[in-house]
Amino acid sequence: MITGGKIIQHTSTLLKCFCLLHQVHVHLYEFTQTRGESMLPTLAPQNDFVHVLKHRKLVHTVGLPRGLQIGDCVVLMKPHDSSQRVCKRITGLPGDLIQVDPSYDNDFENCFIRVPRGHVWVTGDNLSYSLDSRSYSVVPLGLVVGKVVAANDFNKPLYDNGNFFGYRRIINNYINV
Amino acid sequence: MSRRTVVRTALLTVTWIPVMMTMGEFVHVSQIKGKSMRPTLNPSDGSTDWVLVKMFRPRNRERNDIVLFRAPTDPNVVYCKRIKGLSNDALYLDHDSMVKQDKTHLTLVPNGHLWVEGDNMHSVDSRSFGPISDGLVIGKVMCVIWPPERWGTNLNRWVGRDVLANQDSE
Repeated sequence: MITGGKIIQHTSTLLKCFCLLHQVHVHLYEFTQTRGESMLPTLAPQNDFVHVLKHRKLVHTVGLPRGLQIGDCVVLMKPHDSSQRVCKRITGLPGDLIQVDPSYDNDFENCFIRVPRGHVWVTGDNLSYSLDSRSYSVVPLGLVVGKVVAANDFNKPLYDNGNFFGYRRIINNYINV
Repeated sequence: MSRRTVVRTALLTVTWIPVMMTMGEFVHVSQIKGKSMRPTLNPSDGSTDWVLVKMFRPRNRERNDIVLFRAPTDPNVVYCKRIKGLSNDALYLDHDSMVKQDKTHLTLVPNGHLWVEGDNMHSVDSRSFGPISDGLVIGKVMCVIWPPERWGTNLNRWVGRDVLANQDSE
């Protein structure tokens, strides 16, 4: 028999579990689907799910111990539309001198930019099909939401070559070349 | 009280922390430091104001709202300023053109960005770092809750400079 005290107890347990899950989702870890061609060799246009670490120390600092580095894959809010999130790779840190787009001949797109303090330069891996810092310029670190560490592909078999659902780590390809 | 009950109560308290943190995503209490919002907030050197902040989820912004946002120059610093221009607003950049209503040197706030200024002339705001992206905004200041003698302060009594140039087009 369920008494009033029991109902309150169960509701509060449910509430606490939900809030704990929500806090982990907001501050520590998120597992979401990505869409779009802009990260093509690394992430597929559809059906790819990424593991995102969102801790403030990882995301809002720059530099070696644990902060962001060149080559890290990040999730960030679009600067001109904060309701949309995009996945890009960091290609310039504060203080770096960046050539906006070497593939253009005119002076406007071919100029150099010094990345200001607290900002990063981000580009997609698929440079010919990506809307990134080359069009909206540097992005403040406050818009970076998380760091992508791994991805799953649910079109792959459940267990294949020792990996579940095409699990792969998203590595920092700048350091490893 | 036995040792067992103490541990049990402590554990029960710990499990309520995520609930408190989730409630903090709706309303938040925050201390205002510095004098950039003088005379609206922190009117004198002696006391600091504590304000109630509403975190917005449906992101509706209005001119003359006081907002908290992450500084574009350092994501770990939070600034408190007043919104003076929404996206696609035309603004007077300097004091001279504002007085003369000179519409030749206007600033256009880009799409999805906000122009923020402190009420005090001496404040680090959009006049130095330019328009900020809407995604940096954390919440809106609702009212002053501490010290008690400042309860019911009208936050819009003094709204800073009148920089908007497109008033006729509204």
